[in-house]
Amino acid sequence: MSLRRTLATFLAPTTTVRAHCDLPCGIYDPEQARIEAESCYRTLEKYAASEDATFRTRALVIKEERADLVKHHLDVLWHDYFKPEHLEAVPNLHDLFWQANKQASKVKASTDVAEARKLLDLIDQVDAAWKATGGPGKTRLAGRPS
Amino acid sequence: MLPAITPGDWLLVDPTTRCWPRPGAIVVFREPETDDLAIKRVRARAGERVPFNGGFIVIGADEAWLEADATVADAQAAGYGPPIDSNRFGPVPVSQLVGRAWFRYGPPGRIGRLPGRIGRLPGGASGRP
Repeated sequence: MSLRRTLATFLAPTTTVRAHCDLPCGIYDPEQARIEAESCYRTLEKYAASEDATFRTRALVIKEERADLVKHHLDVLWHDYFKPEHLEAVPNLHDLFWQANKQASKVKASTDVAEARKLLDLIDQVDAAWKATGGPGKTRLAGRPS
Repeated sequence: MLPAITPGDWLLVDPTTRCWPRPGAIVVFREPETDDLAIKRVRARAGERVPFNGGFIVIGADEAWLEADATVADAQAAGYGPPIDSNRFGPVPVSQLVGRAWFRYGPPGRIGRLPGRIGRLPGGASGRP
């Protein structure tokens, strides 16, 4: 090994830091949030129908994980898909996302299936907003299952 | 952080100056969302205001507002999304700062001090309220 290479090896940093930008894939669909919210709904139904303590505990853990995923998917839509110009088509956009995220938090903390139903309704409103702003044509590949 | 820092730069980081960084300093910090080590420039510190979403955010005590040098338009022109900085994850607690990057010691053709205080950025911090 040459002296230069040895020196470079000796001096090379051992820690890497990142200065990254986002790299959005450009694919967005409220269906992701909807599926996780449906999972919360169905899990709460199963929770209510069971008397097995272990099953009920597992159901709560899974429901809370799914509710977190709902919040994640809603946030991605809110931050990355929707743009200021979309407020013309959906004037209540920010309030809608705020309400939907708050509802996801309620579902996370609750065992009431009615709260999960409310979350589904709010996600359907997000879906309507996505469609009103041309989401299906702009953010999904051709051939999306209907 | 182009052009101040490019991928592959070897940087010296001073951990003794991690507290109360001056606006314009380039700092290494723990990214709030991931806990990964990241590097950005201090745009505002405690008590200063930064424009945000049509209004202003006042930076709290023991916090700093960190931003990339690239604007959203610059990043998009290069094929990326918005920079991941305080506009994404909010103010960063000073306790999350690791140190100030102040000198580039490699590669050989790029050795030298990093640009320090860069003055008022366009649309930048407006000073203490």
